[in-house]
Amino acid sequence: MKINMKINNKPVTIDVDPMKRLLDILREDLHLTGAKESCGEGECGSCTILLDGNPVTSCILNAIHAENREILTVEGIAQTKAGKLLIDCFDETNAVQCGFCFPGFMVSSYHYLMYDGEPNLDKIKHALAGNICRCTGYQKIFRSLYLACERWQKR
Amino acid sequence: MKFLKPNNLTELFSSLPEISGKKYFLAGGTDINVQIKNGLIPEGTIIYINHLPELNGIRQDENEIFIGALTTYRELLNSNIIKKHLPFLIHSLKNFASPLLTTMSTLGGNIANGSPTNDVSPPLLVLEAELELISQNDSRRIPFQDFYLGYKKFALKENELIKGIWIKQNAAKGYQTFYKKVGSRKTLTIAKVSVAGLKRIDHGQITKIKIAVGSLNEYPRRLFQLENFLIGKDLDTLLEYDISEILKKEITPISDLRSEKEYRFQVCLNLITKFLSLNFVG
Repeated sequence: MKINMKINNKPVTIDVDPMKRLLDILREDLHLTGAKESCGEGECGSCTILLDGNPVTSCILNAIHAENREILTVEGIAQTKAGKLLIDCFDETNAVQCGFCFPGFMVSSYHYLMYDGEPNLDKIKHALAGNICRCTGYQKIFRSLYLACERWQKR
Repeated sequence: MKFLKPNNLTELFSSLPEISGKKYFLAGGTDINVQIKNGLIPEGTIIYINHLPELNGIRQDENEIFIGALTTYRELLNSNIIKKHLPFLIHSLKNFASPLLTTMSTLGGNIANGSPTNDVSPPLLVLEAELELISQNDSRRIPFQDFYLGYKKFALKENELIKGIWIKQNAAKGYQTFYKKVGSRKTLTIAKVSVAGLKRIDHGQITKIKIAVGSLNEYPRRLFQLENFLIGKDLDTLLEYDISEILKKEITPISDLRSEKEYRFQVCLNLITKFLSLNFVG
C-alpha cells in the first residue's frame, strides 16, 4: 500500500505493508536510526517520535497511522534551535549515560519545551514519565530540561 | 493477516458481513500491536477505523456531552468542554498510561479491549455514562454498566461497534468526587485497585452515593449493594459500620503478578473508607 507522510518536513511516499511498524519504516526504509527499539511494547519510550506534534512511541504505531501526517524524529529535532539548546543542556549537566534511551528523552523534552516550557519540576517529571532510563540518571535529566526551559524563556 | 481500510462507515458496514474469520478493529493500536508482537492475535482481518470522522470528536448538546469512540486520551485531557463540565473525568485520568500513550490510545479502544483494570471504566460508571452502539441499520444506546457481561465479554452484537460515550453535563454536579488508582508507580502503571466515587450529603446524611471499582472483578463495576446500605446513613456515625461483609459479596479480587487478593481487598476497603470520611464539596 502506498502511504504518504511528511518526515522531518520532507514529503515521503513509501510502498509498504500498512501494518509495518513505523519504527521499522524509520530505521530500515529511511535509515533514520535515532529512534531505538528497547521494549517494543510502548512502555519504555526509547522509540519516541512526534506525530503531528505530539509525542508517541513509534514501536506500536503502524504505517497506516502515519498516513498524511507529519512526523518529526530526533534527527529533525537536532537541527532546530530548541534541539540544539537541549543538546547543550544535556551535555552541561552530564545527563547522558549509556545513551540508548536518550533520543526518546530528547523528543519528549523538545515537546515539553515547545508546548509548555515552564521550568517546573513536577510538570517536567510528568512530561518525561513515559521515558525510562535504565541507567536511572533521572535527576540529571530533569535538571537539564529545567535548565533548558529557563534558557528558552530568556532567549 | 488481511488488512482493510474502509473509506467511510457505509463501506465499513457493508463489507463486514463478507469478511470470514476473525475480525480486529484497529484504532490507536496501543493494545493490539502489543498483542501482535506477543503472538496473541490469530490470523484474520485487521480493519482500520482510526480515520473515520463519525466516530471522532467531543461535542455537547443541551444536556449531554458526546465523546466519540476514537477520541484519544490526549484530546480528552485537553478538551475545554470536558474541563468545564466534567473536571472529575480529567482528574481521574490525568495519570492515565503515560503522556506518550495518550497520543494514540482511544477511549473506545480502551473500553472495547475490556481489561478488568482499564482506567476509564470506574469514573464512567459513577457518571452513569451511556454507550452509543452502531451497526449497519441500527443505532442504540445502552447504560455503560450493562456493557461488560464477563471477562472480555461485551453486550455487542455481531458487526456492531462503539460509536461513542454520552455523559450528562451535570452528572457530577453537586457531588463530592473521589478517584484513586493504586499502582506501583504514579504513571505508566496498571492498577492493582481503582475506586471512583460520587456522594451527596444533605443535613449530615448521605442522600446519594455511587461507587465503582476496577481490577477487583472480571470487569469494572458499580457496588450497588454497598451504595444501598450507605444511603440515609449519618456522616458522623458512618465509620462505625463494618462494610467489609457487604464488600466481600461484591468484589472478587484475584492474586496475580501485581498483587495478592488479600491486599487488593484491604486497599479497596481502605479507599472506600477514605472516600466516606472525606467531607468536602468537590
